[in-house]
Amino acid sequence: MHVPDGFLDAKTIAATGALSAMGIGMALRSGRKSLPPSRLPLMGVGAAFVFAAQMINFPVIGGTSGHLIGAVLVAVLMGPTAAILVMTSVLIVQCFLFADGGILALGANILNMGIVAPLAGYAIFTGVKKAIPGNLGIVAGAGFAGWCSTVAASLACAGELAVSEIAPWNTAIPAMANIHMLIGVGEAIITMLVVVAILRARPELIMSNASVNVPQRPVTIAGYILIVALALALFVSPFASVWPDGLERVASTLGFEHRAVTSASSPFSEYQFPGLSSALAATALAGVFGTIATLLLTIVIARLIIPRNRKK
Amino acid sequence: MQHDILDRYSRGSSPLHRLHSKAKVILAVLLLLFTISLHPGQWIACAAVAAILMLAALIARIPVSYLLRRMLIIEPLIVTMALLALFRPDGIALFLMTTAKANVCFFIIIILSNTTPFARLLDVARSWHAPAMLVNIIALMYRYIFVLADETERMQRARSSRTFRSGKRVRWISRSQIIGQTFVRSTERAERIYAAMCARGWK
Amino acid sequence: MNTALEVKDLRYRYREGKEALQGVSFSVEKGECVGLIGPNGAGKSTLLLHLNGILPDPLPRESSIFVNGVPVLPDSVHSVRRSVGLLFQNPDDQLFCPTVYEDVAFGPAQFRFPEEEVRSVALTSLATVGLEGFEDRSPHHLSRGEKQRVCLAGILACKPGILVLDEPTSELDPRGKRNLVTLLRTLPTTKIIASHDLELIVELCPRVIVLDGGMIVADGETRAILSDEALMLEHGLEKPHILRHLHPH
Repeated sequence: MHVPDGFLDAKTIAATGALSAMGIGMALRSGRKSLPPSRLPLMGVGAAFVFAAQMINFPVIGGTSGHLIGAVLVAVLMGPTAAILVMTSVLIVQCFLFADGGILALGANILNMGIVAPLAGYAIFTGVKKAIPGNLGIVAGAGFAGWCSTVAASLACAGELAVSEIAPWNTAIPAMANIHMLIGVGEAIITMLVVVAILRARPELIMSNASVNVPQRPVTIAGYILIVALALALFVSPFASVWPDGLERVASTLGFEHRAVTSASSPFSEYQFPGLSSALAATALAGVFGTIATLLLTIVIARLIIPRNRKK
Repeated sequence: MQHDILDRYSRGSSPLHRLHSKAKVILAVLLLLFTISLHPGQWIACAAVAAILMLAALIARIPVSYLLRRMLIIEPLIVTMALLALFRPDGIALFLMTTAKANVCFFIIIILSNTTPFARLLDVARSWHAPAMLVNIIALMYRYIFVLADETERMQRARSSRTFRSGKRVRWISRSQIIGQTFVRSTERAERIYAAMCARGWK
Repeated sequence: MNTALEVKDLRYRYREGKEALQGVSFSVEKGECVGLIGPNGAGKSTLLLHLNGILPDPLPRESSIFVNGVPVLPDSVHSVRRSVGLLFQNPDDQLFCPTVYEDVAFGPAQFRFPEEEVRSVALTSLATVGLEGFEDRSPHHLSRGEKQRVCLAGILACKPGILVLDEPTSELDPRGKRNLVTLLRTLPTTKIIASHDLELIVELCPRVIVLDGGMIVADGETRAILSDEALMLEHGLEKPHILRHLHPH
């Protein structure tokens, strides 16, 4: 998902750059208060850890293989503020040292994988953890958040390509979303397995870290929400507005007009669902079903793999 | 792991290597900005940038074979992403131009990173008053990237020498455990690094 | 006052519950070179970490360690670290900067040496350990022995009055070891050297402290203690070969 230079146009570069700078600035501000000096080496080594983890290949189908992105894993292990700084560092080093992702596209890549992914992921992780007690909630929450964050980041990425007029909305977003719904499953499973491995070896690392440096100030929280919302609104919502008529028509025929508004701005409203005539309704429905199915699946897998003696 | 494929030629002594890092960063960004602003059909301008870069590679004595190898690694990604352009009405021209632009941009970054050691880029960031906390995290990351990559590689080798079943499921679980263990070791290492920093006066 | 370091009834228990130090007391005069030996897990490294205030974390209000007569307290720890240079076991953890020069200059910069002095002292220290011209190298490309020498240069650059070395020869080949011995001999500072390398201790330290189970079991003249085979055996150590030739039975 690292966008190289040459794809994004000037206005997209400027907008993503500004949003990323805001996000990093806020993370630095709240990090200076909530992260003690002793956390600095952990963030540096943690960034190297993300990189090393990304180098480990997981066999998929045939000869292909995939790897971890790690945004949610880091958010779960080190907290959301540290996760933004760690993922940003990873992306900067990958850009300048490995030419993985462009220099001008750095703002977009940081926005997608360094800000939207860990923040959206962490919010979902916290939600699931609250709803399901014990290790099951932690593991399932991490997995589901891993899936959601991958899809959300890919949607933002697709939107950036579409705004740059490289790809048309009606192909870029479904294509990226479909691929990353699958990639996200891998991300979810790896994230869960890693969290379980750490729960077995050093449970206190997850317990103590999962709730540190969570932004407490309402201004910071509101700011983060604003950045994620802006990223999705700027780069994803134009997709829904491509066919506003279709949306309304489908909404009324299916009888959930009041949901139409939310699904239009929701990141999960763009997937193809075979067999339905209206493309947008199909996309929205597929998104909803896919999300629910993934949540259930992560809970089932989490139940299978969590350490038995610690099950609550 | 072969570490020096990344910036193998970054420590050369050509005029380009000796050029001030700040100047190189500014030049690279200007070239990138120029390249991304090109529209389909502006082939001559695109070729001109490529020619400048070839000249730069020549001056910096970066072998063509190395450049081609780096390009080959990134090519699948660029082409796949550019394929999306084919769905647009002006598809083919846009696809070709985007691929060309992306390759030229990649070329610019490769030349920059092979004429400027990463530590010098960090100096540039510091002198431009980049946030100290972020620069410090990046410096630490850069220092420990290969230490950790080697560590995971050793763990993978040690595991595969003791594993006889090799189903996909087994491999997913064992590789995830390696990642988990790397994290546990990273936190321990971070504690030792912190102690070493404190011992030399860090507050 | 000639006492460089004084430790009075030092006790330390790790958070996991392990009692690492159970009442350690000794003092070291200025200019002395003291060896610290003992089996694995005796508490050597834990003791050394106390000597410049890394442990306990956080520092207590009352200290049982005095450096040049100053107790190691939260207020004084920065100046204590300035005068006690601590070389850690694992050079990879101690070399945390992207280049050799930055690493050696880290200490002097943190201790607020004037800017020009930072540079000159870093270059001199690198020369002292025989690594001129290594300034721009990245630690990752160094051999293990070279890494250890850079670490030592980083400590020397802070100009400490007391050098505390934890296994300084563990990564060195015989020649590297020889160079280190020669180098340490020429340094006029007070030295405390913890090592399993008893030949190194015999060569450098007239006095040795034997630590086992978090307690000092012997403290005295090196050759006398290391020749005491019963004592050595009891604490998991072995009489070094050089002493066998000097004290034939």
